[in-house]
Amino acid sequence: MTTMTGGLPPPAPTPLFFRRGFRNLLAQGVYVGVTALVIFYVVQALGGREYGFGFLNQPAAFDVGNQWLINVDGTTNTRFTMYLVGIWATARVVMVTLLLSTVLGVAVGVARLSPNWLLSKMAMLFVEIFRNMPLFVQIVLWYAIVLFGLPQIQNALDLGDTFFLSNRGIAVPWPEPDGGLYGGPEWLTAVWAAAVAAAAVAAWFVRRRRQELERETGQPHYPNRWGIRLFAGGALVSFLALGLPLTIDVPVLSGTDYAEGLTLRPEFTALTLGLTIYTASFIAEIVRASIQALPKGQTEAANAIGLSGYQRLTLVILPQALRQMIPSVTNQYLNASKNSSLAYGVSYADLFFVANIIQNKIGHAVEVFALIIVTYMLMSLAISVVMNFLNSRLTLTRV
Amino acid sequence: MTRRRWGLAIVAAIALLAAACGGGSGGGDDADGEVLRSVLDRGELRCGVKGSHPGFSFANPDGSFSGFDVEFCRAIAAAVLGNDGEDVAFVQVPSATRFELLNTRQIDVLIRTTTVTAERDASLGLEFGPITFYTGQSFAVRADSGIRSTADMDGITICVQSATTTEQNLSDHFNELGYDYTPLGGEDQENQDAFATGRCDAWTGDQSNLISRISQLPNADEFRVVDQLISKEPLAPFVIDGDRQWKDVVSWVVYGLINAEELGVTRENAAALAADPPNAAVARLLGAPFKGGEVADHGFAVDPQFLRRALLATGNYGEIYERTVARVGVPREGTLNALVRDGGVLYAPPYR
Repeated sequence: MTTMTGGLPPPAPTPLFFRRGFRNLLAQGVYVGVTALVIFYVVQALGGREYGFGFLNQPAAFDVGNQWLINVDGTTNTRFTMYLVGIWATARVVMVTLLLSTVLGVAVGVARLSPNWLLSKMAMLFVEIFRNMPLFVQIVLWYAIVLFGLPQIQNALDLGDTFFLSNRGIAVPWPEPDGGLYGGPEWLTAVWAAAVAAAAVAAWFVRRRRQELERETGQPHYPNRWGIRLFAGGALVSFLALGLPLTIDVPVLSGTDYAEGLTLRPEFTALTLGLTIYTASFIAEIVRASIQALPKGQTEAANAIGLSGYQRLTLVILPQALRQMIPSVTNQYLNASKNSSLAYGVSYADLFFVANIIQNKIGHAVEVFALIIVTYMLMSLAISVVMNFLNSRLTLTRV
Repeated sequence: MTRRRWGLAIVAAIALLAAACGGGSGGGDDADGEVLRSVLDRGELRCGVKGSHPGFSFANPDGSFSGFDVEFCRAIAAAVLGNDGEDVAFVQVPSATRFELLNTRQIDVLIRTTTVTAERDASLGLEFGPITFYTGQSFAVRADSGIRSTADMDGITICVQSATTTEQNLSDHFNELGYDYTPLGGEDQENQDAFATGRCDAWTGDQSNLISRISQLPNADEFRVVDQLISKEPLAPFVIDGDRQWKDVVSWVVYGLINAEELGVTRENAAALAADPPNAAVARLLGAPFKGGEVADHGFAVDPQFLRRALLATGNYGEIYERTVARVGVPREGTLNALVRDGGVLYAPPYR
């Protein structure tokens, strides 16, 4: 504001619309106005109905398939119990997807950087095909392949009477609790599981102690080797001592379905396969980018001290790249967990599917959708908490 | 300065809000007659149908629709808008959102093989018109499976459309039998695919639906629909709650078409009978004067000739049935859908 310059005429007043103060005012007015309008309409649309979650405590009167480890009957249980069954179905898909997509994603991402031309191009092809196709299309496609491509159960593909493939599902052997050789009670399996857990804890402490010794003395104390030995030994000895308290159930054909073993139903298979491959293609790119972001000197230094290719990857490259990866991979985990609601497209009875049945029967759309939203938010928050914990651990630890 | 700005912003917001209130409160309380008014303004009836149900409502490759439900949409459109029932926009609605679409007035009437139940009447904010079709829940099975009724169905996998009364009946019925079963949900087409590929052992649904859908399969003779019915499924058109006038129009179009069959009024002879009605009942139905008297006007929100227009567009109930449902192998004779005088339960209050 220099009005001291004598000879010049005073500047013409700025038109109202071009004044900063007025424009700010206008923008704020419009913002507040639109917000108020939205709130007003939402309140008007939602008003005049009665709300409450009492309907969740009434009998469900519908059943859902694709249950695992549980057998919940919809006639005697409440709608809320059926919703929990849906949550369990979602949790199964999400857990398997996160695990498998991480393994596959890291493998493809590393392969992408391989000096082997064929391997690297195949990894590239994988990424470009699967991340550029809509996920829903992929899931429906996998389902169609399983449903129409695999034989009917009467002509199931039989792999050594152990694995069966048909459009009723993929039947695989599965461990089953058992009393063991001495005909003990079934909870012997639980005893054995506890023994295995104890062995794991002991192995972890031994490994850490040996790591410390190694650092203090500079002599090799083989922490990993001893940890694994202790764990495997403990598990094996207790297994024998308890008289083999676990059997492997091999599936058998019975009528028009499988009995025994574990049957991966087409709906579960298609959904998990689609989610896993799609998510893995993104994780692969994150892995590749994080590795490439490392200074080239890291690889050169690892080569200079004579590490093998595998050692270079596991001791030098991946631990450092991991810090870069985790925030981006967390995003992919959150996406995958929410994308699991595409189960609807293949009629896999996940939490969204079950909630939709409830909503369609009784209405209460506002409450049901609030419930769905809160459930997904809690699931996402849980994943975030775990990943943030991992992130903070890894960022603080210097390799 | 800042304070004044906020003040102005709030004033602006209140002004906008007031404008919104003024605009919004116009249609609030007086819902009666609203649907009819908006249909007339639009010049088109928006009819919610399924669109994938041979015999009931089927979207043809050329974009036209045909079927039993479709004919009732046309009859209502002809009654209200004239033009031989051509002014219908058929909206294909999924079962999961059909009631919400009606509730939010995106469709004027829902004619989508929807079962009347107490729960729907009480809690969905909807009304239903007269029952247009009586069927029941049954099961399709493979012809070589040896399954004759639900007594042979312990432990099997059953395809069922999710979020329907069918799903609930299935659950109740198997609970009563004490049998185990695995449901596989999905929409109709998914059920059909899963059943035809052997993913499920049986496919449950309205018997008329199962018969008509299986008749369309290339290998139709490999499947069979069992005779057993495990439920009552009366199907009716649904309209929004609180618009009495619209519900009356929809109801009496349906009743009118049933009355026409009882009285022997058809698409062919309707015009001739209107010119020279043989009795007072036919005259009233067609909105024609009888023996030089007045035209009977019952005070519906549409003019007294509305049923004549409907009849000229679609014919009476029996004609609609023969043209649509009978073509896909669902007979009428001996079923509940025959007129009362023929041993069925189809009966309409008199039009007087």
